[in-house]
Amino acid sequence: MLSNLTIDPQETPAPYPLGARGPFPDCRLSRVLERRWLHYALLSRDGELGLVANIAWLGPPAENDSVRPRITSILLIHKRGIGWTSSQFNAETAALWSSFRQPHPFNTERDFQVRSAAGHPSVNLKLQRTSRPCTSQCAPFAGEHFLRWQSETGVIACGDWVHNGTLHTGVEAIGYHERVRGYWGWPEMGGWVFGFANDPAHAADAQTSAPPTAIVFTLIQPHSPPDAATGSVMLWRSGRLRRHFPRRCVTVSVRGQLDRDRVCQVPDLANLFGVPSMAPIPRRLVISAKMGEDYSVLDFSCEAAARIVIPAETGIDPYSVHEVIGPVTVEGRVNGERFAFETFGIVEFAGGAGGD
Amino acid sequence: MRAVIDGTARLLVDTVDELSRRAPAIVAAAAHEMAGITLGLHFGDDTHAEFRPQQSRLIALAVRAQNPQVEAYFDDRSMRLLFDLERRPIDQILAGSLDVRGERDNVLAVWRTFKLLAQRASGLRSVQILWREYRDRFPDYWMKQLILPDTENGAVKNGAILHRPSDTGWIALDYLDHRHPEESDRLPSMVGGMLVPKSRSLWDGRKSNPWWELDAAYDSDLRDTMLNCKTRVRDEIAAIIPDREPKSALYDLIREYPKREGKGLRPTLTIASCCALGGQSQDAVRVAAAIELFHNGFLVHDDIADESTHRRGEPTLHTAYGMGLAVNTGDAMNLMAVDAILSNLPTLGLGRTLGLIHEIMHMCRETVEGQAVELGWIRDGIVPTRDEDYFMMSTKKTGWYTCISPCRLGAVCAGETSPERLDRFNEAFRLIGIAFQIQDDVLNLQGEESLYGKERLGDLLEGKRTVMMIHLFRTVDPITRRRLEEICHRPRLEKTQEDAEELLETMQLFGSIEYAIDLANRLAHQGVRRFEEDLAFIPETEAKGILRQIANYVTTRPL
Repeated sequence: MLSNLTIDPQETPAPYPLGARGPFPDCRLSRVLERRWLHYALLSRDGELGLVANIAWLGPPAENDSVRPRITSILLIHKRGIGWTSSQFNAETAALWSSFRQPHPFNTERDFQVRSAAGHPSVNLKLQRTSRPCTSQCAPFAGEHFLRWQSETGVIACGDWVHNGTLHTGVEAIGYHERVRGYWGWPEMGGWVFGFANDPAHAADAQTSAPPTAIVFTLIQPHSPPDAATGSVMLWRSGRLRRHFPRRCVTVSVRGQLDRDRVCQVPDLANLFGVPSMAPIPRRLVISAKMGEDYSVLDFSCEAAARIVIPAETGIDPYSVHEVIGPVTVEGRVNGERFAFETFGIVEFAGGAGGD
Repeated sequence: MRAVIDGTARLLVDTVDELSRRAPAIVAAAAHEMAGITLGLHFGDDTHAEFRPQQSRLIALAVRAQNPQVEAYFDDRSMRLLFDLERRPIDQILAGSLDVRGERDNVLAVWRTFKLLAQRASGLRSVQILWREYRDRFPDYWMKQLILPDTENGAVKNGAILHRPSDTGWIALDYLDHRHPEESDRLPSMVGGMLVPKSRSLWDGRKSNPWWELDAAYDSDLRDTMLNCKTRVRDEIAAIIPDREPKSALYDLIREYPKREGKGLRPTLTIASCCALGGQSQDAVRVAAAIELFHNGFLVHDDIADESTHRRGEPTLHTAYGMGLAVNTGDAMNLMAVDAILSNLPTLGLGRTLGLIHEIMHMCRETVEGQAVELGWIRDGIVPTRDEDYFMMSTKKTGWYTCISPCRLGAVCAGETSPERLDRFNEAFRLIGIAFQIQDDVLNLQGEESLYGKERLGDLLEGKRTVMMIHLFRTVDPITRRRLEEICHRPRLEKTQEDAEELLETMQLFGSIEYAIDLANRLAHQGVRRFEEDLAFIPETEAKGILRQIANYVTTRPL
């Protein structure tokens, strides 16, 4: 078991005297806007079920405070045709999994158990890694604010999902995992577009091998400075990162607007408060990348969204992150090899609402 | 499926007709630009059209114009190629294919009018369908040069042209614009989705545009939206009314009035306001159903008070089933409406539901006060002398629940609880509501019973204090006034159709109807102006575009 991943901030070691070590230092969060996240997004191979989970460690409310960092955990599950259900920000994590925090061999199953305090939604999964993570990336903005992330795609899962009180057993899924470290305020953050797609691959060994192709894209759109926006597309082939298309090689376009009736607001508690109007979520998202002869085009159609209303640490206006699920087609060429697949993907549109 | 468009002139006339029904704000703006100019159009297919503004309406006829101030000639090619949005018009019109004549200012006014029509109407899906039909009749001019060879990446598939990577450079914007038909973007929606969406870039490698910032949309399709909202709310009402006894004496009667469909103005205002302020259309449906139930309850009681015999083309409830059942049915409708409002608690939460109750209470209070004022006037034989008295009564009796409250309630559904912001709806929709009511009163005198629904001259038989009546009593000589008072003071059952005809003739003689039409027009324009000023804080979306169309609908309504 990955005992060192149970959520107990007391275990966080003291800051290193010579400063933080590496891009994702395992040092104490000492300021209110410091954050450390573990993020998960999984989709069942038939596209019927989707999962988003986020475990966030936040710095103490006051600088140099001895108070423990705060932890917020949320779990969302989507069932096609029914919609999203969500925990509050107090999801219970019996066992966490992270290839970053606890490196382990490929094709080794580990537990991942998260459930709402209310009992459902919940998942009890065995996760295994099949791919290598990308190099970490960092978006600095608004002075000392920054967002640093690292993604690993091709995460394979199998286990039980409970959505709306209904148990789905033995669901096979594939997705991605990400770790985030940063220091940012929500007003300074602006917004982002994150997402991924794994070739579902129907080969006999699909449940144990890396997807033939996987793609992760990012677009960070801080309010300031004007040139702070950045984006990237990363492409894996058979578990190895083959191409990193940097910001200048990437274009992102959208069209239309998702019907607001297809967006639900979570957690339920948010509906009791006067939350600003949600931003118009695009209906279509196309991300293209081209570098030399290599290219990829990802065409995502938004189908259903959950607006997660996140309480701000330093103000009364909440921040919104929209988890959007829908069909995606990917095609392209890398190192002379063509690829194309259709599957379901999850995209995050963050920011946008009044007050964000 | 529409009939095949016969000739270019017919295409333009049909386009204006479609716009008048679907997007009156565009027509009103175009008529304003035309400013009294008559335009004659001639086409290479030997068809002709006349365009002229009439107040806020645009009259388009497929005839040769008599004495036009501006004339334009398009050859056979030019109109067809103008549709091709992938090419600039200047590249398409050959020398001699377009000829425009008239005084410079008039020509410029016409140019502005057509530019406005092109900019605001071309995005409407219904207009695109109309023009596509026309274009499809003449494929030779535009199709040949765009089809790429059948190569690995550039095959023609199902009529769509798939560009090769080398053509587009795999730029995301090009990909969206060229490789995928727009229809795949569509999902059923109650409000919105009536415009063909434009692609926009979020990131081109250097410049970032926030994903949450939409291009402004000023218009939408009022006709289809009203139909969507009306249908959805009708279904909701059907679900609210219980399927149990006593059916024949109560619940079947409750279903009677909502079945007699109106225009769907209130449901559309409620749902569009909710969407315009960022809410979900689904959240406003039950409230819109509650308003309709209140409305129908008020109508049942109003028909009893007015001794009306017909409502929406059929006998009133008390005429058909007797007074006792009708009164009870009206009460039950109001009760169910309250129940429908309360049932929002689990979905909208306590705060918004309390806000809704507050708004509904206000709406009902205004309505019953307005009804009391009018009934009091009739009982006491008073015909007010000032239009302002009518404005006050009309706003209270119908303005609040027809225009103002639906908007405010929709906004509350979206979570808007600031009294200052909710009040921004009041003045614009007060003016529009009065104009709408005056027009309804005019239609009762002039319109056909089958279209209007009430019996012709029913308002005169009821002794209703309309603007025409007030103007007439203010204007006539003392002798005629005594005669009019003698007719008006009679109970309804003692009035004859001849009495009503006499009143109507006198109104026509003293110009009361023209006065009312002009007054309604002025009020409607003031309402539209206040709409733009007071509601500028609402972002320009299709939902706000619907509210704008409704505001302008009053100015372009044929009387």
